[in-house]
Amino acid sequence: MSFEPNKAENLDACIKCSACTALCPVAAVNPLFPGPKILGPDAERFRLEGLQIGTTLLNYCSKCKTCEITCPSGVKITEMITRAQEDAKISGGGKTLQFSIRDYLFGRAEYLGRLAMISPNLTNVLLKAPPVRKILAQVLGISSEAPLPAYNPKFKGTETGRQSKKQVVYFPGCFVTYNDPPTGQAIVKVLEHNGYEVIVPSFHCCGTPLEGNGYLNEAKEIAKKNLALMDPFMRAGIPLITGCTSCGLALKECPSFEEPESELQTYDLFEFLWQLHEQNELRENFNEVQVSLGYHASCHLKAQGIGTPSVRLLRLIPGVQVAELDQGCCGLSGSYGFKKEKYNTAMQIGNPLFNRVRQGVASGEFQSVITECGGCQVQIRHGSGIKTEHPIWVLMQAYGLN
Amino acid sequence: MWDGIIIGGGLAGLLAGIRASERGKHILIISEGVGSLTYSSGALDFGDAGQLLNQENHPYALLGETSIRAGMDYFQRLFPDYQGKWGVTQNLLTPLGSPRKASIVPYGQNAESLQDARRIVLMAPDGMKDFFPEIIKTNLERSYPQCVVEVYPFRVGAFESWHAIGKSVTGMEYAKYWQSGPGISELKRVLNCLTMIFDGEVSSKKNETAVLFPGIATAFSDPLKEILSETPFPVIEMTAFPPSASGHNLYCALKQKFKSLGGELLFGTGVQRIELQGKLCDKAIVKSKGRYTAFSARSFILATGGIFGGGIEVTPEAAQETVLGLPLYVPAELTNSEFLGEQPYAHMGIEVDSELRPTGPGNKEVLFENLRVIGRMLAHWDPWTDNCGGGVSLATGWFAGEKL
Ligand SMILES: Cc1cc2nc3c(=O)[nH]c(=O)nc-3n(C[C@H](O)[C@H](O)[C@H](O)COP(=O)(O)OP(=O)(O)OC[C@H]3O[C@@H](n4cnc5c(N)ncnc54)[C@H](O)[C@@H]3O)c2cc1C
Ligand code: SF4
Ligand code: SF4
Repeated sequence: MSFEPNKAENLDACIKCSACTALCPVAAVNPLFPGPKILGPDAERFRLEGLQIGTTLLNYCSKCKTCEITCPSGVKITEMITRAQEDAKISGGGKTLQFSIRDYLFGRAEYLGRLAMISPNLTNVLLKAPPVRKILAQVLGISSEAPLPAYNPKFKGTETGRQSKKQVVYFPGCFVTYNDPPTGQAIVKVLEHNGYEVIVPSFHCCGTPLEGNGYLNEAKEIAKKNLALMDPFMRAGIPLITGCTSCGLALKECPSFEEPESELQTYDLFEFLWQLHEQNELRENFNEVQVSLGYHASCHLKAQGIGTPSVRLLRLIPGVQVAELDQGCCGLSGSYGFKKEKYNTAMQIGNPLFNRVRQGVASGEFQSVITECGGCQVQIRHGSGIKTEHPIWVLMQAYGLN
Repeated sequence: MWDGIIIGGGLAGLLAGIRASERGKHILIISEGVGSLTYSSGALDFGDAGQLLNQENHPYALLGETSIRAGMDYFQRLFPDYQGKWGVTQNLLTPLGSPRKASIVPYGQNAESLQDARRIVLMAPDGMKDFFPEIIKTNLERSYPQCVVEVYPFRVGAFESWHAIGKSVTGMEYAKYWQSGPGISELKRVLNCLTMIFDGEVSSKKNETAVLFPGIATAFSDPLKEILSETPFPVIEMTAFPPSASGHNLYCALKQKFKSLGGELLFGTGVQRIELQGKLCDKAIVKSKGRYTAFSARSFILATGGIFGGGIEVTPEAAQETVLGLPLYVPAELTNSEFLGEQPYAHMGIEVDSELRPTGPGNKEVLFENLRVIGRMLAHWDPWTDNCGGGVSLATGWFAGEKL
């Protein structure tokens, strides 16, 4: 999400190798989807001339960014697609009213979360009730089979710091805030255990759901609000940490244009912990944890270009075995897989991963799955029936903090 | 701190990473892209080793026969689905149906049985991209004059929606389908149909039939190997135009092996430069999202794939090595008038000592004590005329992994 990309330059970088399309998970299972090369750089040529092509098809892109990390020439393919979606929306093309309303709502995970917080229990009961799901499917086009995550009482942290030397700002993200507060608390505990004071300002959504549903401008607006909240801490040189890989990617991609540049201070949780390890500042008096785990690297972690720091770190714990699953995208991509017309595509994309997980557990290779991304957790549980959680829980055990 | 960082995850880099990890080293491979295996046929060539071992400065000559053979053996020990013997070549078919030779061939691609066939049945899956049955038939008739060539068209239900909109199905898509559960059942059905047709024939030809199958990659898939070993006739895989499923499957198998040995692969972004400590490489600087990340290691391996892989950048003015700016050997006359003859530019690359450490221009002085250069980055060889692309990558990859 850079603010003013150099459109033409990026376009000319494409060498037409088709590597992006060969690895696009949606093109692999949906023949109607022309793939990133055609919808990105090929169609961009026409779009720069003012011609919109394939507007309905654009919406089938799951924004997993596999194409972008594959492209040898650094073409910002997903960004082109998102921008084209936004333009198509302005010109009214592409979506039915039903899907427009639904995508409007899915883009606003934060408002949905706040709405659910009026009564999380009631919301959960309703979201599980088949008649309600039928209505959601008919009225809003939300798949009745989709694994909509349950809501929980809101995650809250300390908003202002005292004067301690070691401070970090924690960006929980909507999934932790509204659906999975215990993981947020675990992350805070682990950071505190390492001597950090953890500050949690009342952040807004990171903007990824907006971007994913084609609301690029609003995503930028919300990013600006977050930047304003971060500003004093960034000026004080305090690191910003998130345990969600999509929030992490959005925060790193969003340049602040002002000193200090926030992306320089933004860390994925395990990237930060690994750095502490390298500087001999991580507490490593781990308890032995006898567990074998399958690890799924989310697409938005891969797009950060930092490797897989959680695997590295967990392997420092005596007894922990981690096998990388290496089966590509889980298919959910935020709210993509919740949508009625995309649910099947999403499940097909995730199938190799689900099979790998089931086989791994059946053969005794590992007992459960870990992945940083809340969306991937929900989808893997749904597709494979196997327990899937954030890697922080292994560290909690190793520190004896549960 | 890693024991070793390998820059470039193609054939050479991955093999080095696997060997070093197997020896208990803690290895990080950083790779911008998937490398050239996906664009290759999957079969690997070692060339005329006897001659190349005596060719001045050739990577084979630097390492010596023992290391070249060790690389070949090691690779086959890792992947028993790849078969070959030192000094022996096997026949396989090009995507256009002409025979060619290679040293190590993945399970299913070996086409030796065509020598004894009297009839060749060419399977022709409907709507397959880059597949030209008529040309293949003509080429087969020319190369195997003792055979009758028949084309057997068939249609796969799973791709109906592709056919309906007139979209062709790539060989990679077909190959992936055959490896899936539904694909395996469908393949059994198709091959049973064939068996029944042949059984109904009275002529003796049925015992001398070989079946050619494009768009399938059997290696690394136990169910596929099982099905194809049970047919009463030999089934021979055809190699494919790039991107090819066989090459890609080998890439995936290497990657998986490396990761299962505890190696980490940082994919999708490249090393921008190396920070030095005197004559030692110290940190690889990687372009992560939003900022640069430094990874430090005791040893480094440069496996960035030459011009095709992105390790050498050529502009009209100059050529340069992209990560460290190492001195490049550049042949005096850059292009040759003979289009299909030897191309001097192919010899462009990094000059090294017998330990594969880069040396200064014109002298044999080692530039960095803890850096080795492998694969297509090396100078003084030409994968096309020497026909040893796979061989150099395996031998130098194995050697660097052994020494790290
Ligand atoms: C089209 C084609 C067909 C071939 N067919 C055959 C054949 O039939 N038989 C045979 O034996 N050989 C064949 N080869 C040759 C053989 O595949 C190569 O010798 C071998 O794969 C080269 O391996 P490599 O690891 O040196 O380079 P590559 O496979 O090119 O890998 C280099 C890797 O380095 C990465 N990289 C580059 N710069 C950076 C950076 N700064 N930071 C991080 N990563 C970087 C690249 O993204 C790439 O992944 C073929 C090659 C090509 C190109
Ligand atoms: S972002 Fe993912 S789904 Fe969209 S075009 Fe790229 S690879 Fe395909
Ligand atoms: S991978 Fe990049 S260069 Fe290749 S076709 Fe796609 S956009 Fe173009």
